[in-house]
Amino acid sequence: MSDPSSRNAVVVCSWGEGREGLPSGAEEVLHIGRGLAAATGSALHWLIVGPLAQRASETAGRYGVTALRQLEDPKLVAGGADARVEALAVYCAHNEPRVLILHQTLEARSVAPRVAGRIDSAVVMNGIAVVSLGSGFEITATAYGGDTRVVYEVGPRPVIGFVANAVVPEPGSGAPVAAESIAVDLSAVKERIEVVERACFDGPRLDDAEIIVSGGRGLGQKDNYKLVEELAAALGGVAGASRPLVDDGWVDSSHQVGLTGRITRPNLYIAIGISGASQHMAGCSAAKTIVAINRDADAAIFQYARYGIVGDALEIVPALIRAAANRG
Amino acid sequence: MRVVVCVKEVLDPDAVNNYAVAGRLEIGADGRSLTQSAIPRLMNGYDEQAIEAALRLRDAGAAFTLCVVSAGNDPDKLLKHAAALGAEELVAIQIDPASLDHHAIALLLATQIESSGGADLVLCGRQASDDDQGVVPALIAEQLGLPVITVAREVKLEGTTLRVTRVTPEGDEIVRTPCPAVVTITNELGEPRYPTAAAKVKARRVKPSVVSPADLSLGESDLAPRVILKRQFVPEVQGNCDFLQGEPAAIAAQLIERLRADGTL
Repeated sequence: MSDPSSRNAVVVCSWGEGREGLPSGAEEVLHIGRGLAAATGSALHWLIVGPLAQRASETAGRYGVTALRQLEDPKLVAGGADARVEALAVYCAHNEPRVLILHQTLEARSVAPRVAGRIDSAVVMNGIAVVSLGSGFEITATAYGGDTRVVYEVGPRPVIGFVANAVVPEPGSGAPVAAESIAVDLSAVKERIEVVERACFDGPRLDDAEIIVSGGRGLGQKDNYKLVEELAAALGGVAGASRPLVDDGWVDSSHQVGLTGRITRPNLYIAIGISGASQHMAGCSAAKTIVAINRDADAAIFQYARYGIVGDALEIVPALIRAAANRG
Repeated sequence: MRVVVCVKEVLDPDAVNNYAVAGRLEIGADGRSLTQSAIPRLMNGYDEQAIEAALRLRDAGAAFTLCVVSAGNDPDKLLKHAAALGAEELVAIQIDPASLDHHAIALLLATQIESSGGADLVLCGRQASDDDQGVVPALIAEQLGLPVITVAREVKLEGTTLRVTRVTPEGDEIVRTPCPAVVTITNELGEPRYPTAAAKVKARRVKPSVVSPADLSLGESDLAPRVILKRQFVPEVQGNCDFLQGEPAAIAAQLIERLRADGTL
């Protein structure tokens, strides 16, 4: 468990989640970590909890990681939260990193504050930027569903969660970094939460989609959501939705884009009948191009859009489906 | 059994959003708080749904005392609403929330829960709609040494075992844990109920028990903030929208053409 070189290091923490490959958002937090390490003259460590992600060594090299560490224990393979929290808390207590930063997945959202609680550290979530300030940090985070930003000041050794679309990662070209494993004694940990039925969504994920077509209440009625699905299919994209549609039971919550849903970063985001509430924009404002279709010319969504269409979605979307199909 | 629901008062997030969308959201002279006095204060929506989750357990036949606790300047209004919905115990922890961070709030809530007989189940909203941090439930769980299950859309009791459906990016997940535990509720739980007029009248007479940090043997050093809010600001949105005009077919052709020309499609 002891890893003296990580004392005062900037430590980026990840674990494999869901599908194969690197955990999503890892490069974004590595990018943030690299900046913090440079600003504070610290080493940059990448700590992987449990099985090593594919290509971790190469990715570590590209972001200037000075040490790639893997916390190893059979209990971390199963991915239970109690094991993760204990492993991270023991690691932090032993090695006193300068800061522990995580990409804010749903699981990280509960692991981060639990670790902070256990080691009695400050914790801030929804981070979008951070600068060092003396021995502490100043963190900019979103609040009010994205309507405002807040700036928090914390002392040394905080735990910070970052939303994935806060930055655009810029990989460098460093040589791969060999992983070294650190054993951790989790014999006393007993997982208290038993998973009875795993989530098993195997369709395309909003998180990874290059093209997303989303619908909101402006569609009028549930039946009209099929237009969103049809346009998504015609463009080779994935269908999303704003929170009201999920709350009203029009679509499954796995389609929800927004602060309390999926944080996406597609090339193209087409918002149909979505007003542009900040809660929603928090999940799509990092899209390269936003197209908005809304009956209300004053809808906030047009402030974010590159292309705007003021009109009835029920007339425009069918025309778009035909135009998209006509690839000639 | 005893079920404790923690609730927080927030500025109406829809009203805040309306001001933001209209470009009229302003930060006060302190640089930290929103100035619009017209924005109503109400119970955090997710917390209201946490109360609803408790009431649904009761509907399903579970027998328990429902305790609703809030920490703030004036939690009376929230607590009376909770009483009208069927909470038997109401606790107001009297503090100025602006002076505290999430660790301190969690410490107050956990200490109150512990010193008043503990809880078999602690229900919280997944996050507060003002700061969106969502860390207090996990910090309470750590204080009390309890497991935490987040983003629940459904909570069931099978004897003294909780069966919870969580909303994850990969779809619903069902988990189980013996009580006691902390569970956070997400918006997918659905609409919370309203109290009846008769229950509201009756609740007017209910007096919450008022607790101070000193009553919980917590002093200034215990509650010293680790996270300090320095500033709040309204982000600027750069509008450069090209509005496409014409008949639907013409607009559609134009849009697809522009997106292809940009290399977006």
